[in-house]
Amino acid sequence: MWGALESVPDPEIPAVSVIDMGMISSIAVEGPHVTVTVLPTFTGCPAIPVIKTDVAQAVAAVEGVVEVTVKISFDPPWSTERITTSGRAKLKEFGIAPPTGSGPVLISSIGLPKVVVCPFCSSSNTHNENAFGPTPCRALYYCDDCRNPFEQFKPV
Amino acid sequence: MSDSLVPLVLSLADDELVLGHRHSEWTGYAPHIEEDVAFSSIAQDEIGHATALYQLVGELTGDDPDHLALGREPDDYRNATICERPNGDWAFTLARHWLYDHADSVRLESLEGSSNQELAALVHKIRREERYHLIHAEAWVKRVAHGPVEGRTKLIDAMAAAWAEIGGIFEEIDGEEKAVYQGELPTPTAELHRTFQERTIAALDELGLPTEIHSRADEQAEFVASSSGDLIAGRESPNGEQTDPLSGRGGRRGKHSGDFDQLWETMTGQYRAHPGARW
Repeated sequence: MWGALESVPDPEIPAVSVIDMGMISSIAVEGPHVTVTVLPTFTGCPAIPVIKTDVAQAVAAVEGVVEVTVKISFDPPWSTERITTSGRAKLKEFGIAPPTGSGPVLISSIGLPKVVVCPFCSSSNTHNENAFGPTPCRALYYCDDCRNPFEQFKPV
Repeated sequence: MSDSLVPLVLSLADDELVLGHRHSEWTGYAPHIEEDVAFSSIAQDEIGHATALYQLVGELTGDDPDHLALGREPDDYRNATICERPNGDWAFTLARHWLYDHADSVRLESLEGSSNQELAALVHKIRREERYHLIHAEAWVKRVAHGPVEGRTKLIDAMAAAWAEIGGIFEEIDGEEKAVYQGELPTPTAELHRTFQERTIAALDELGLPTEIHSRADEQAEFVASSSGDLIAGRESPNGEQTDPLSGRGGRRGKHSGDFDQLWETMTGQYRAHPGARW
């Protein structure tokens, strides 16, 4: 079952699976009936319906499974600490800096999140451009060494 | 089913939906491209929080969450007046953003300890995301408060206008006594309001912004914020609409300003034009 979910990508970051992201809270098997509990990364993540469908399809394809229920839960709350080591490596390879720490860390008097390592050249000479980004889970940074803008998966 | 939990969760959801809608109006129009991104993203967060809260209400009442969000009549919405006010200028936008996110933070801190496990868990999750909103608001208010005199003056006026109505966030909720008794709402709204006032007055003082106008505006019901964000005397806004001069109260009882009608028309227009549509 867990193996089947390794092939289900995060719709917004296809380089990582729902397993890499730590989004699967539990899988309960009762004979041919399976209940998967999914923890959304962000409450307002617009990809939730897509993830539900993809998870249900992947589990339904496993031999012996007749019925799949996918539940969405906020308990326990998903946090970036749930992203696996391999998930972090895949994010970096995809060009998104993995999250640091466990929540927004104030670095200066204007309270922007901490500077992060550039996923392209590994420099720490970077600065935050925006605490928000193209999806609820990403922030925008700029690398002052290789001069690339990049995104960071926001620590929550 | 608890009949006191529903109005409590609805008031939270309606605040987030309506202010989220206002924030989304900056998409494509914000004075800086990074702020276009920021306000669009904050709007998405707030509307996402509203969605999860409507789902919780739906589990209690059997209502369809989409219907709760977009299918109700204007006087069925329970958002505070401050959330429905137009964005006005950048100063009013920032002042409201700062005050609302402080107010939201005070009530969410309390609700994380709600006796309703599902609400407590959801609020815990929401708080992790809301921290970024507060960081954003603090950064801007600090920047403008310490900046050139024109922006600072506009911010001070906008802060007074927004302050006059922010108390509506802490207006008593239907069935509040029961919600407090059952621990669904661990702290009464009046007490949350006091915590909010103490915290924000101290923060304004630290920013070097005036604080005395706030206690005055709070008491003087005849002062109401106009659509432009200016503090005006009287019961009429500049466009002649009758507004509720109750320091931003009334929203929790479904009493809204003319600004809400305009917002409601736009926000629910698509849903009403195509009942049951799926995409």
